[in-house]
Amino acid sequence: MKKIFTVLGFIWAAICLLIVLTMFPGLDSFSKQMAKLPFMKINPSLSGGDVAKTIEYESYTVNIHKPVFAALIGESSRGFVQVEWIWKDSIPVPVYDSVDFNMDLTTDFIIEIDPLNDTIKIVSLQNNVGEIEASARTGNGWIARIGLINEAKLE
Amino acid sequence: MKTELAKLPPYNTAGHLWKSLLFCLPMFLILFMFLSGGRPDFSDIKFTVSFLIVFILFNYLFFKILYTGKTDRYRSVIFILYAVFLSFIFILNMFETRDAMTFNSADMLQCNIPFCHLVISMILIPAALTNSIIFPGNIMGGFAPITSMIVIWGLSSLAIGKGFCSWGCFYGGWEDGFSRIRKKAKLKNVNSLFRWFAFAVLLLVAISSAVMLSPTYCDWICPFKAVTEFEQVTSAETLIKTIIFSSLFAGLVVILPVLTKKRMQCTTLCPLGALNSFTNKINAFDIRINHEQCTQCRNCINACPTLSLDESSYKTGRAHFTCCKCGKCVDVCTKHAINYHIKGVPVNKAQSATRILFVFSAFLFLAIFASGSIQMGVYKIINLITTGSLS
Repeated sequence: MKKIFTVLGFIWAAICLLIVLTMFPGLDSFSKQMAKLPFMKINPSLSGGDVAKTIEYESYTVNIHKPVFAALIGESSRGFVQVEWIWKDSIPVPVYDSVDFNMDLTTDFIIEIDPLNDTIKIVSLQNNVGEIEASARTGNGWIARIGLINEAKLE
Repeated sequence: MKTELAKLPPYNTAGHLWKSLLFCLPMFLILFMFLSGGRPDFSDIKFTVSFLIVFILFNYLFFKILYTGKTDRYRSVIFILYAVFLSFIFILNMFETRDAMTFNSADMLQCNIPFCHLVISMILIPAALTNSIIFPGNIMGGFAPITSMIVIWGLSSLAIGKGFCSWGCFYGGWEDGFSRIRKKAKLKNVNSLFRWFAFAVLLLVAISSAVMLSPTYCDWICPFKAVTEFEQVTSAETLIKTIIFSSLFAGLVVILPVLTKKRMQCTTLCPLGALNSFTNKINAFDIRINHEQCTQCRNCINACPTLSLDESSYKTGRAHFTCCKCGKCVDVCTKHAINYHIKGVPVNKAQSATRILFVFSAFLFLAIFASGSIQMGVYKIINLITTGSLS
């Protein structure tokens, strides 16, 4: 019995060495396989969620994401909607946009971006729309997260 | 040296020049293949010099590990170099891409934060419950993508267990380095119960990260932001975060390791270190004490940098599951009573073969993992000397 365990132990140790030998040559392939796993996506609370609507203007493009109410289980009562402005040819332009993030054909908020002074302002037109939670100027545009109240959760 | 070597078990490479060289040959060939990328291009003289420096150094250290029978002494050279060069390259890269060591809200909102292995301990519960990763990084591609780090950590944990903390973690090298500055510890007899602190931290950050859907350890605690990147100070909150991580770096990574000669951050604060302890359970290698040879001199207990050996180890004949297999206890034991061991094999059997198998696997992992950063670092230094510019 001792001999069998000894042999099995050494086989196990040899497999460990094989793992190290295959780890780096196979890293790309293993990573690609791992990326296919269902949980291998960034949580919407960090990524901003999927893009729901894209609007093209003459000098910039707007990406409006789906509202995010991320929670460990279910939905949280507060969330945000991410909106991105991408300047064409990376040339900064002033923005004054009416945004309908839930596509109910009514404007939810108005956003004003002044790239010269690096300022962003919001005028909330609905009760469930809050303040700007985070915003940043990027290399070719602007990103903002506007706070939302989850009305479904409140009901 | 000769009398000491004479006491070693048979079939040992220690003191046997030709046997050591023979065992070095496969490492020589494998390292040449990995470090040169399989298709060496020696047209760039600076690349050739940096390649040769790293290649010769690694092979020399592996030869010394085999020939002297000392593991930790030579492992630590690469381990510390890796930590220093990785931080050097990382910070340089941050300055080249962002003009600063700090990241700002645009990097966060665009998910451009490089992933590090410490986050793994925080993403497991949210991954199971929300089917997503709670880190603003790249899944694939870019600098330090999430999938690559998880694959490297997962496979290395299978191969060497918590050995990852001594043979792969590029943060551990900082503490390892500082813990070697003094010859003797100023603060002796550190209570071995401190090793359980890391488990409390793991529990706390795993739960808080899951509830907040954000890696709380990275946000608030991680001391290694001091040698990689950190959030730009733009508010009172970010100022408090900066004070916390810089104090922890000074206290747990620099001052306490210098005074105690222990890796105090790894032992008491690192959540991945605690998680990695469990990987020792699914790994073939551990550290065992041979009762017949052990005189209970406490050399190993005093030397262990992670408090994984105490009086109870003499009774059980094994290191605690928090052991990171650095080999320091094996090096200091004058009776050769403590050794690397393969589970299932009798404790006093095939010790030399066991050591060679573990050291070969672990050294190969460290050498390949570290080679890119060290080679790049050497290349940049050569560039600085010859042209006056790092880039």
